[in-house]
Amino acid sequence: MSEENWIEVGSIDSIEEEDLIRFDHQDKTFCVYKLTDGFYATDGICTHEAVHLEDGLVMDDEIECPMHQGIFNIKSGEALSPPACEDLKTYPVKVDNDKIFIKID
Amino acid sequence: MKNNIIILGGGQAGIYAAREIRQNDSESNIKILGEENLLPYERPPLSKDFLLDKKNEEDLYFHSSEVLKNENIEFENILINKVDFENKKLFAKNDDVYSYDSLLISTGSENKKLSLDDNLKNDVYYLRNLEEAKKIKEIVSNKNKITIIGGGFIGLEIASSLCQLQKKVTVIEIGNQLMGRIIPKQIADLVQNAHIEHGNEIILNKQIEKITKKNGIYEILLNDNSLIETNFIIAGIGSTPSVKLFENTNLKLDNGIVTNQFCETSIKDVYAAGDVSNFYHPLYERNMRLESYQHAQNHGICAGKNIAGVKTEYSSIPWMWSDQFNLNLQLTGICDDYDEIIERGNDINNGLIYFFLKKNKIRGACGVGIIGKVGRDIRITSKLTEKDTIVDKQILSDQNLKLNKLIQK
Ligand SMILES: Cc1cc2nc3c(=O)[nH]c(=O)nc-3n(C[C@H](O)[C@H](O)[C@H](O)COP(=O)(O)OP(=O)(O)OC[C@H]3O[C@@H](n4cnc5c(N)ncnc54)[C@H](O)[C@@H]3O)c2cc1C
Ligand code: FES
Repeated sequence: MSEENWIEVGSIDSIEEEDLIRFDHQDKTFCVYKLTDGFYATDGICTHEAVHLEDGLVMDDEIECPMHQGIFNIKSGEALSPPACEDLKTYPVKVDNDKIFIKID
Repeated sequence: MKNNIIILGGGQAGIYAAREIRQNDSESNIKILGEENLLPYERPPLSKDFLLDKKNEEDLYFHSSEVLKNENIEFENILINKVDFENKKLFAKNDDVYSYDSLLISTGSENKKLSLDDNLKNDVYYLRNLEEAKKIKEIVSNKNKITIIGGGFIGLEIASSLCQLQKKVTVIEIGNQLMGRIIPKQIADLVQNAHIEHGNEIILNKQIEKITKKNGIYEILLNDNSLIETNFIIAGIGSTPSVKLFENTNLKLDNGIVTNQFCETSIKDVYAAGDVSNFYHPLYERNMRLESYQHAQNHGICAGKNIAGVKTEYSSIPWMWSDQFNLNLQLTGICDDYDEIIERGNDINNGLIYFFLKKNKIRGACGVGIIGKVGRDIRITSKLTEKDTIVDKQILSDQNLKLNKLIQK
């Protein structure tokens, strides 16, 4: 695992529990979540239409799109409710020295 | 027990019901009878991304034929034109007969038509299905000035799409605001401003007196004697439940097929779901008919459960959206039964929402904002409505305070 692929997102205090922040890196955009059991990351844009999930609702392990209520599992990226039917890409996350990192391929 | 289950109407409610029945019943025959020669597909993109060429036909289908085959769900393209509830039979024009043990009616709704002279009957277009969307798309490609009669959701979505295709669009609405009285006027006005800023012309409070056609150009005379010249006319003046088939039967009808909270109609073993059903909502303690994507899906699923013998009450909080330009409008609950209105936010960039309360509980809400800005709060509102929570009005009205605080209590 090469070190360069881990990108720093911010401090662990930058996200409230059961919430998310948007993280932009180069030309890509992500959502980084704090759930009760840790941090997770997915692509930032809904797979249904081009809307950012940063304004979506996080409930338990799910993110719900603010546009048409498509629902994804944050941990697996699985599309759980239409109109979303294509899964959301997920990314590995680690915490080091109170900082969150995501691994972008 | 192996039953013959027939789903009359191959739209959204029908397909969701079929798959839900299969989840609970691996034995019965499930057959969908659909008038359109297409597998069930999503209608919302017809007035939006399909017209804009951002989605094509293949993107619209809910499921592929493989999924239906794997789940042993049959789809037959046929128009049913007679029913005999007493003997549990449906008849097609070609005299084919379909017998059922349980029947789900999911025939959806149909567009109201303008009363026009016979020579103009084929000149005004309507949008309900894929075939009509294709036709509109083809015709507008070489027309410039387009008039939309009716300023409801579908008319305005078409107006937004055609404007984005660089067409000169005029919308004529008979009422004094867009999208009917159910949408708060301030929100309707913001949407209207967006149309005007993008170059659409919006004419309110006007009725059509007469349409004439000269050399391929239409002249629309309004009741103030003004005249609009146009190359193409689309009407979106509302819809009615598709119930003609049942008018002379003993099925109870009243603004659609009357159903209880279990999707059951007045006739045993006959269920109805989706746009066609006027269903009893236990939370609101009244009947209602909805034309919305989320409702068609959830109501279809609920009907499927009940048909398969899993008694399930339908109590989903209504929700629908409309996308026009870069705006997303959302409605949840019911907005016509309230004793107090609370506003949250006041500009379209951050989104604004009107909450309709009765006895300090939210009954419904309507919001609009730049795409993405109202969805989360509207969703939380649905949850608060569902839980019948007495809400802190300070939090509702202050956009700096997060609404999910209300849910966690
Ligand atoms: C252009 C357009 C845009 C929309 N946009 C939105 C939106 O943005 N948001 C939203 O929430 N909702 C929207 N809707 C509403 C939503 O699509 C409908 O509420 C939903 O499709 C209803 O599903 P249904 O299964 O009840 O009916 P439908 O999906 O209409 O299916 C009914 C089917 O039954 C068939 N049928 C009828 N009679 C017979 C018969 N006698 N024999 C055989 N077949 C028959 C019909 O041909 C049709 O295929 C839109 C609708 C349209 C038309
Ligand atoms: S854009 Fe996310 S569900 Fe439609």
